[in-house]
Amino acid sequence: MPSVTVTLPSLLDPATGGVREMAASGRTLREVFADLLEREPRLRPHLFNEAGELRRHVLCFHNGTNTRWMDGWDGRVADGDTVLFMQAVSGG
Amino acid sequence: MVGTGKGGFRVDSHDRRTWKVSEPFFKGWKVTAGVRLADGRYMAAVASDIYGPALHVSEDGENWEQLPSGPAYPDGGDRRLREIWTLRENRGVIYAGVQDAGLFTSSDGGGSWQGVTALNDHATRPAWMPGAGGLCCHALLFDDTNPDRMWCGISAVGVFRTEDGGATWVPKNAGVPAALEDEHHKGIGTCVHGLAQDPDDPDRIFRQDHLGMFRSGDGAENWERNEDGLEAAFGFPIVIDRASRYLFAVPLEADQYRVPVGGALQVYRSTDAGDSWRSASAGLPAIDSWGTVLRGAMAVDNLDPGGVYFGTTSGTLHASADLGESWTNLPVILPRVLHVSAWVD
Repeated sequence: MPSVTVTLPSLLDPATGGVREMAASGRTLREVFADLLEREPRLRPHLFNEAGELRRHVLCFHNGTNTRWMDGWDGRVADGDTVLFMQAVSGG
Repeated sequence: MVGTGKGGFRVDSHDRRTWKVSEPFFKGWKVTAGVRLADGRYMAAVASDIYGPALHVSEDGENWEQLPSGPAYPDGGDRRLREIWTLRENRGVIYAGVQDAGLFTSSDGGGSWQGVTALNDHATRPAWMPGAGGLCCHALLFDDTNPDRMWCGISAVGVFRTEDGGATWVPKNAGVPAALEDEHHKGIGTCVHGLAQDPDDPDRIFRQDHLGMFRSGDGAENWERNEDGLEAAFGFPIVIDRASRYLFAVPLEADQYRVPVGGALQVYRSTDAGDSWRSASAGLPAIDSWGTVLRGAMAVDNLDPGGVYFGTTSGTLHASADLGESWTNLPVILPRVLHVSAWVD
């Protein structure tokens, strides 16, 4: 099972106890997200809404590519890939 | 505890005259509600426009841990839990009033949460319209003599009462004009801003409403205006001191302005159960003050004589140790104050 490195923003320190980098496993992004939430369920309300979508102002990049530009979350991931969560810097 | 738009602050005092303000906790997060639980733990609700809401608990008020799960609407639905507006505990059950408007309970100290379906899916729900602050359940009252009876306030919907432990809820707004009248559901559409309850008479309820100041002597069955002496009948918070039964409110110029009348920050007090109101503002800033006081940003400590505390949207904090006879302006400017809780150790 491929293992990827997930990087989280500092604003989520209260949910993770200050952990900003975690490993998560899965063959697809969808499985990686599920494993991430299994490891740290406190992240669920902060990253995803009740419809299971990324929250509106949460950005997620897989190997530097915005996941919103992908055709869903079922593409394959490889060992050593990176997943980066950050907030959209929108407005002033 | 003071909750602001950018974090929470502990504000401590040994004499209610001098105060020490902590560094922020949950820096960058809105702190929207807080409660001291019967087991001694503190519970705080936080929210972020980006990352949503969460509940945290603390043994000491300094070190916090997010609960693994909090109130949540069912996955796949169209309701969103945006913020937790109020937290209360009664008879071992923790209650969370939330936006999008709804009520959730936990009977295991916050470990798991259940929606109060009869309220959250109320027959009038399709007609619920949000006010300027959103569609939120923000006020909860209980009947110490009857565990099956309680009230909740929802903006801009009105007051609901249950008499069967939450199995059914009935709008109770007779006498209060509608702010947003619905074509079919005439019992709702009122805009309750704040509720206070006589500690010894659960049927005696005081209501700061969008359209005035009201009170009920029959458990919200009927409401009557009690605005004598108020310089403005619009406002958000209303609190009651346990020992004296004095009421405190902050009138604002209604309603498109929502600022202190004439730019003078004033607290109004009623010493006669709302029959009359007078300014009790000695010591508040004698400068132009245009910040408002939000519905959750005023609290009493229930000591004798009672302490009264509030924060403003301008980030100022104000404390009175003598039921509003005199006020201390704390030497601090915080972010916009959303919530004030007073706890005595």
